Amino acid sequence: MAETEEKQSAGNIVLVTEGGSIPNPHEFRLINAWSLSLTLAIVSLFALCLIWPEPYLRILLYLPDGILVTFQITLMSICFAVPLGFLTGLGRISKNRFIKLVASTYVEIIRGIPLLVQLFYIYYALSRFVQISGITSAVVAISVCYGAYMGEVFRAGIAAIPRGQTEASRSLGFTRYQTMIYVILPQAMRTILPPVGNECIAMLKDTALVSIMAVPDIMQRARSFVGTTYLYFETYTVIALVYLIITLLLSKAVSIMEAKLNYYDTKSR
Amino acid sequence: MTQNPDNTPVISMRGVWKYFDSLPALQDINLDVQAKERVVIIGPSGSGKSTALRSINRLEEIDRGKIYVNGQDIMDKTNDINLIRHKLGMVFQQFNLFPHKTVLQNLTLAPIKLLGLDRSEAEDRAFALLKKVGISEKANVYPSMLSGGQQQRVAIARALAMQPEIMLFDEPTSALDPEMVGEVLNVMITLAEEGMTMICVTHEMGFAKTVADRVIFMDQGQIVEQGDPNALFDNPRHPRLKFFLNHIL
Repeated sequence: MAETEEKQSAGNIVLVTEGGSIPNPHEFRLINAWSLSLTLAIVSLFALCLIWPEPYLRILLYLPDGILVTFQITLMSICFAVPLGFLTGLGRISKNRFIKLVASTYVEIIRGIPLLVQLFYIYYALSRFVQISGITSAVVAISVCYGAYMGEVFRAGIAAIPRGQTEASRSLGFTRYQTMIYVILPQAMRTILPPVGNECIAMLKDTALVSIMAVPDIMQRARSFVGTTYLYFETYTVIALVYLIITLLLSKAVSIMEAKLNYYDTKSR
Repeated sequence: MTQNPDNTPVISMRGVWKYFDSLPALQDINLDVQAKERVVIIGPSGSGKSTALRSINRLEEIDRGKIYVNGQDIMDKTNDINLIRHKLGMVFQQFNLFPHKTVLQNLTLAPIKLLGLDRSEAEDRAFALLKKVGISEKANVYPSMLSGGQQQRVAIARALAMQPEIMLFDEPTSALDPEMVGEVLNVMITLAEEGMTMICVTHEMGFAKTVADRVIFMDQGQIVEQGDPNALFDNPRHPRLKFFLNHIL
């Protein structure tokens, strides 16, 4: 009975939602989807800026402040969303029925409401009671939303560790808590980290939504540029390329981390 | 053993019942194991022999009855089950080595964290045990690099690193390729010769004959027959044991 459970969970299926596709770290050919996309994006951006510095270079130079804000919001959201997701994941596998119910209800509610609606709710709807700045609203909304998504990733990653690991640890005399710290989490990290990285990349893309609340991120800078110049095509072309380059680089970073985490298993892949 | 001068059993199961949903997995199990005794439990699959073994260190929670380890009631909340488990080494069918730790780290983790040994003490102990089970040269590799037989020997060494008084074996050779069964059984025979108290659930009748002081035959959650291995194998009394032996031998 326990045996079949182990076999099923050994599949390590972790739900991956949106986010950039993570390049396979064992893919060493020079031309692959990732390198081709990155090369095309960089070459296009440079070409546009060299051939028509007006307006393309001007648009690009208008953006750095926005890039900084985008990263700032993303990083702050990651700092809250990852611990929140971790706690949610633990809550969903808790033996305490109350904690489990709270965690599951949180996930159900948040997953059922679009992020844009959550943003508006915190920024506009709640303004009747509290005034929250655009950046704070953005970080709160994104953290709460992605905390729920990541809760699922953490739950699945922890559940994928065979029950025999817990039994071996408990039979040596480790407590439930020690078992989690020394045995389960170090192993679960390996399955958890790639999808969490993926969620973080998706998060960076979703920060574009905050431009609606006048937060000066990349997208908001573009909108204000367009507002004065009406250069829709040129501006949004540059914006798309900038987002693409950032997410491609980040997804490479995630895949490198993933490869490093595979140090102990010679049989995987 | 010092705490048992008057031959009180180190393990005592009294009227133990265990249900899986409404199905009784253990029905009124009574079993006393003395210090240094080697007990082998045999029986068809689903007979409750693994459940009985796993209930001794509370990996399975029993529903009725009492289990005492060194006189301590393991279901009593005032007795720390984690301390009781220090004295009960367990070896699993699927080895269950920690894949993210090297062989050496598998052996030192619990002694360092639970017994407070410092690293060099724990490693000395680990190397001595690896030598004993015959794989000292593999100390720094990860378990996935080892064969099943090697992994199971490491698992035995890992349990021994806590210096338990009693070893529980749950079908330790059932997941192994036939050519690797011998190397694991040899380690277990050495342990038995050194006077380790052992309870072993197994299908290895040869091992039962050579090592066991007492063989217990379980079927349908009950102890059906028990006794000296030669008597039990040569002169089975109960028809269910006769049937079982005819089919397995």
